Amino acid sequence: MTDGADLLVLHTLRCIGFAELPRVADASGLPEPEVESQLIDLAVAGLVTRISGPFGGWGLAAAGRAEDARRIAHEIDATGSRGAVTKAYQGFMVLNPELLDLCTAWHLRVVDGVAAPNDHHDHAYDARVLDRFADLDRRADAVCTALSAALPRFGRYRVRLTAALGRVRSGALEHLADSTVSYHNVWFQLHEDLLATLGIPR
Amino acid sequence: MSGVHPLSADVTETAEVLGGKAHGLIALRRLGLPVPPGFVIDTGACRAYLRDGRLPDGLDAGIAAAVRALEAATRRRFGAAERPLVVSVRSGAAVSMPGMMDTVLNLGLTTAAAAGLAAETGDPAFVLDSRRRFLSSFAEAVPDDATAQLRMAVEAVFSSWHTPRATTYRDLHGIPHDRGTAVVVQAMVFGNRDHRSGSGVAFSHDPSTGAKTPFGEVLFGRQGEDVVSGRAVTGPLPELAEREPAVWNGLLAALERIGRHYRDACHVEFTFESGRLWFLQVRSGGLTGRAAIRAAVDLADAQIISRRTAVRRISPGDLRGARVPRIHLDAGLDVLARGRGASPGVATGRIAVTADQAARMVTDGPVVLVRPYTSPLDMHGLAAAAGIVTVRGGPTSHAAVVARGMGKPAVVEAAGVVVDAGCVRAGDRVFPEGTLVTIDGTGGEVVLGAPGTTTGATDPHLRRLLDWGCQAD
Repeated sequence: MTDGADLLVLHTLRCIGFAELPRVADASGLPEPEVESQLIDLAVAGLVTRISGPFGGWGLAAAGRAEDARRIAHEIDATGSRGAVTKAYQGFMVLNPELLDLCTAWHLRVVDGVAAPNDHHDHAYDARVLDRFADLDRRADAVCTALSAALPRFGRYRVRLTAALGRVRSGALEHLADSTVSYHNVWFQLHEDLLATLGIPR
Repeated sequence: MSGVHPLSADVTETAEVLGGKAHGLIALRRLGLPVPPGFVIDTGACRAYLRDGRLPDGLDAGIAAAVRALEAATRRRFGAAERPLVVSVRSGAAVSMPGMMDTVLNLGLTTAAAAGLAAETGDPAFVLDSRRRFLSSFAEAVPDDATAQLRMAVEAVFSSWHTPRATTYRDLHGIPHDRGTAVVVQAMVFGNRDHRSGSGVAFSHDPSTGAKTPFGEVLFGRQGEDVVSGRAVTGPLPELAEREPAVWNGLLAALERIGRHYRDACHVEFTFESGRLWFLQVRSGGLTGRAAIRAAVDLADAQIISRRTAVRRISPGDLRGARVPRIHLDAGLDVLARGRGASPGVATGRIAVTADQAARMVTDGPVVLVRPYTSPLDMHGLAAAAGIVTVRGGPTSHAAVVARGMGKPAVVEAAGVVVDAGCVRAGDRVFPEGTLVTIDGTGGEVVLGAPGTTTGATDPHLRRLLDWGCQAD
């Protein structure tokens, strides 16, 4: 069993919200059986909870959120990585408005000065958005690289962002900004992770 | 001329040369409306800078002369310890690119000038706030010399034409990449000066309905960037009527005059300093869909424009937009909040104020999730809800993107809404969790109960406009 895997699983829930086992495993980069075993231990400790129903899944308990904040703060201090993560966060925040502009342009297209839902019938328009998206993704590399160098657990985001963009390129357009594993959603979780890691309130 | 023009009524260059912002400010000057004195460095200078990597010959001299004229007009001295002149430096391209390029406020607040202004105003906290805002607009170290600061800011604004975000914006909106931006330099008016100061935006017509009712938002004691950026929670414009009636009346009279000039709906950005009103930007038009149609029909009825012009103003996009279902707004409706529509459509449901509650309550029927903002921890609530309302974060926030991705109506920047434990507060009213509301993701309304919806087909203004269109042909 990986050392610190319990923190990795706990922190994954802190950043992605309620999710079923496969999504927790994918986001943490650990095999499902190991994640499940960690989740059960964390639940026994009162740190995570499982809600049934269509919108349920595994999620943080209030005590889990506090415990995660404590351990994540300890991690960044113990590894001496606060400076590097802060710098990467600043780089992230330069890219974030542009990412949101692009997601907005993907959903709503301005025609004759009026924003209308993008029906994705105009392939030239979609290609233009995706070109700029790919360009932003290249610029995000520096942020991702710096983050994984500072704290290796951040390495998973680069893998997941690349996977999302790959799915979009192969025609599964919902993985840009709609699905739970879309580029935007992974980016949103990275944003949350940076805030949680640095202890910055939203 | 050196590429520098005063913001005065006799300047006749086009918006291509001066940029839209300066062009509008000069129009306001001609209308006799209060605009802080200043000058504009034109788009030609920007193109030269972007081509050569340095400011064109003679520009420094042109700027220096313009600063001297501004000193004379304000009876202040740039960088001086006594009566210092403080300026704003804003981008302004021919085609508006809101928020894409740099803005520097409170420039000229050197150490000496800051001390001087603090002594002059007797308010060191205000000067400290202004200087902090100024210094934080640059990534690198700022020289303690006003002229050097101005040069640095002009170069920063010119360079911001080529930031990736601005490039992306132009790509998406079909704006040519070779035009460059103008730079507008004006004497600062301080919205953060005191409790009788503030900033806001005001529309001549309600942007949701197109009715000729002044609409907008105001933020007391703050500078305009806080309004535009959505960083602070603003109040509805009519708050001015009570707290600063002279500003309110001046604003209404100005909207009327500007509307007559453009023969169209318009909106302005304004600042008031110690009870005195100033205009910082004007734009005409800007309404879309059914709001554009209603405004055009009303203007034709008032014989301000011809019916033919009214028909010509409406684009196929407006007609498509008019088909989106909207709340049927009539006098009997109880509008508990107004925000901005961020994902079109109408949703009705009971208020839930946490994602967990939304996921629980949805088993008994549809829910509208109301949150201050959203994080990934709210995703299960967003998935459960029929519609989403947020208080902070604009139409390009994560919440707006997620709502659109899920195909759910959303209202963002719901002004005046406070999310509390188990309830939502709007003004002095309290709405407990479970209260039935309906939201309109186009117009941004949050109303009590379950009013009917309309599509464009039943819109009387649209029918009349279409009739006129047939006659015109």
